[in-house]
Amino acid sequence: MQSVSAEETMHRLIFSLSELEQLGETIVSGRGNFNVSSRTYLRIIHGTLQVNRCAILLFQPTANCLTIEAAINIKGESLTIPVTDDDIATILESSIIDPASPPPALDPFFAQIQPQLELLDANLWAPLKIRDEFLGVISLGSFRAQDHLEDWNRELLPVLANQISVAIAYSRLLDKTRAEQFRLFMLSDTATQICKSLDTDAVQEEVVTHAITLLDASAGGLLLINPVTQRLEMKSLFTFEPDANTALESLSIPLQTDQDVPSSPLAQIAAPGGETLISNNEGNGALLGHRNLIAVPMRGREDTLGVLIVADKEGRGGATPDFTDEDRVLLEAFANQAGVAIENAQLYQEALEGRQLQAEMEEAAKIQQNLIPDTLPEISGYEATGLYFPRGGVGGDYYDCLPDSNGSWGFAIADVSGKGMQAALLMATLRAGLHSEVTRKEDLPSMAESLNSLLYASSTSGKFATFFYAQLHPETDQITSINAGHNYPLVIRAAGGCDELEKGGVILGMFANDILADIAEYEQETTQLYSGDVVLLYTDGVTETVNPDGDLYGEERLEVVATRVKSESVDQICQAIYDDVIEFQGEAEQFDDLTMMVLKKI
Amino acid sequence: MASSFNVNTRTEDGYAVIQTDGYLNGPTAEKLAETAKDLMSQGYNTFVINLERTRLVNSIGISILIEIIELLDEHGGALHFCHLTPVIERTFKMMGLTQHAEIHPDEETATTNL
Repeated sequence: MQSVSAEETMHRLIFSLSELEQLGETIVSGRGNFNVSSRTYLRIIHGTLQVNRCAILLFQPTANCLTIEAAINIKGESLTIPVTDDDIATILESSIIDPASPPPALDPFFAQIQPQLELLDANLWAPLKIRDEFLGVISLGSFRAQDHLEDWNRELLPVLANQISVAIAYSRLLDKTRAEQFRLFMLSDTATQICKSLDTDAVQEEVVTHAITLLDASAGGLLLINPVTQRLEMKSLFTFEPDANTALESLSIPLQTDQDVPSSPLAQIAAPGGETLISNNEGNGALLGHRNLIAVPMRGREDTLGVLIVADKEGRGGATPDFTDEDRVLLEAFANQAGVAIENAQLYQEALEGRQLQAEMEEAAKIQQNLIPDTLPEISGYEATGLYFPRGGVGGDYYDCLPDSNGSWGFAIADVSGKGMQAALLMATLRAGLHSEVTRKEDLPSMAESLNSLLYASSTSGKFATFFYAQLHPETDQITSINAGHNYPLVIRAAGGCDELEKGGVILGMFANDILADIAEYEQETTQLYSGDVVLLYTDGVTETVNPDGDLYGEERLEVVATRVKSESVDQICQAIYDDVIEFQGEAEQFDDLTMMVLKKI
Repeated sequence: MASSFNVNTRTEDGYAVIQTDGYLNGPTAEKLAETAKDLMSQGYNTFVINLERTRLVNSIGISILIEIIELLDEHGGALHFCHLTPVIERTFKMMGLTQHAEIHPDEETATTNL
């Protein structure tokens, strides 16, 4: 071995001091990422202590092992050294440890890690610590110029170890401060941004992704309560495992079992008074196929909206830390803000849909109004009038009077099932078909069949129309009529009595024509009119008007009123019936329109 | 929504463009850092990181980006970002990354301002 000259020792000391000064400046400047500076520290050790190999090993508390952070001239940088709490306690008692002759308590430890020590060429270890917190070790290999460390170097090694320990602690403090700064920013800025969005799907997705980043996790999901089905349904999911998505994307959990208790841990969180669940063991974490998870109730202004889940918390260097109480507080605070954002978006969506529905109803009302004639034509020897009075929305009532063949006139009244745009469009179809068929038909049954076929082809399931059509022949004072499931029109006789025009067939649009032929064929009937006779056509909105006691207006009362005023003009008859219906209904809410036509033989 | 992370690199005369795709968290940022270190070992020390396909960054990702900035500083290099989402841009500003790295709206602007 060569001896080390005083001059060389002096040079190495100057080098060390200069490097230490530079590192001190780095730390003071506010930049001190240990990942970056660890190699510089090693360079100082390597240069100052004249070792062939050296390494800094950091303690990984979650895995209870030492791993290499930086190394010079060492192969196998991925080696790990398992270490127990007892080993650590003993290591912390020494400032320098010789692995070849360690304190007796560490004999088993060093005996177990011989392969790793050989890879490290470990001659000396110096613990890295801040007070009683174990941070890792400096491992020195064989010395280049001597077989042992000189005294002044033995004194320098703990100084370097202290310096490195401070740098590690500082680096971690910086990381922690940055993480706190990041979390505060996410809470204040991002949550505010989410609250500004009113797109339900976008808000739900943003809530999940930002919750994941807020807690430095890898996966998460949002389950919202469906108030109709009383189930928790997955609304947004973020995961690195695409295969897991298929099952989780459609996850739907009943809120309660048949015994009225929460059906699962997630349902329990969503129940009134439900609390946050933190699961750091595989049992509950595996609930959704994740290592660990935290699930918090997401509350709206009054009720719980659902459950926000964040899973697979991550740490630096592949560490897999647990979710903590701090995470709980943070995620609960975020969920409270996010809950308001989601509720706002839902309310906005509902309002938007309400406005769209309103606009559709208004449009449908316009269509309906345009289809009903403003006035009826003048027919020699007759008076005719019509009334359409909307109540509680857009129904499918329709009436019309149109010239028929050979100088006759057609009177039509119909009631299309349903309300809104769909009813209005079906009514428009019926009207178009009627106007077309009036000139083409051979007889009323064939016209009814054509209209039935048209409506059956045009309408969706459950959509149909009751329909009555009367062909008035002024030269004979006869009416030929057909009734497809409509309320029976009344013929109030001037001489007394009342007839009903009931002959016809099945409601239009309910069955295809070939099926219809097996049920019953359409029939028409002919009725003779005499001077003073009144024909009253109406929809069920008249006879099914209810009063505050829930009683129906009914056909009988309609006939009584019509009979009482039969000698008046058609307008007066119409007005009298209308007045009586309105008086009958009182304050009761009505949902069907009032529609009628009155024809009178002068 | 599933996420994966990819890093694509393109080297030009005197600089390298690194394009990320996916969530920039711990494991993925480590991947980015490894890519940067590889490029530095090839002599590149000016990088443009294009985050057009990255919408999410967590605190560990940011910490590793700071590490890359410090590494580049040591080598007299520089880091430029482009195509940041508004949230990521605000986050970078608040976390101090913009004191040591420049932000550009797109790759073309970034590469013409190196």
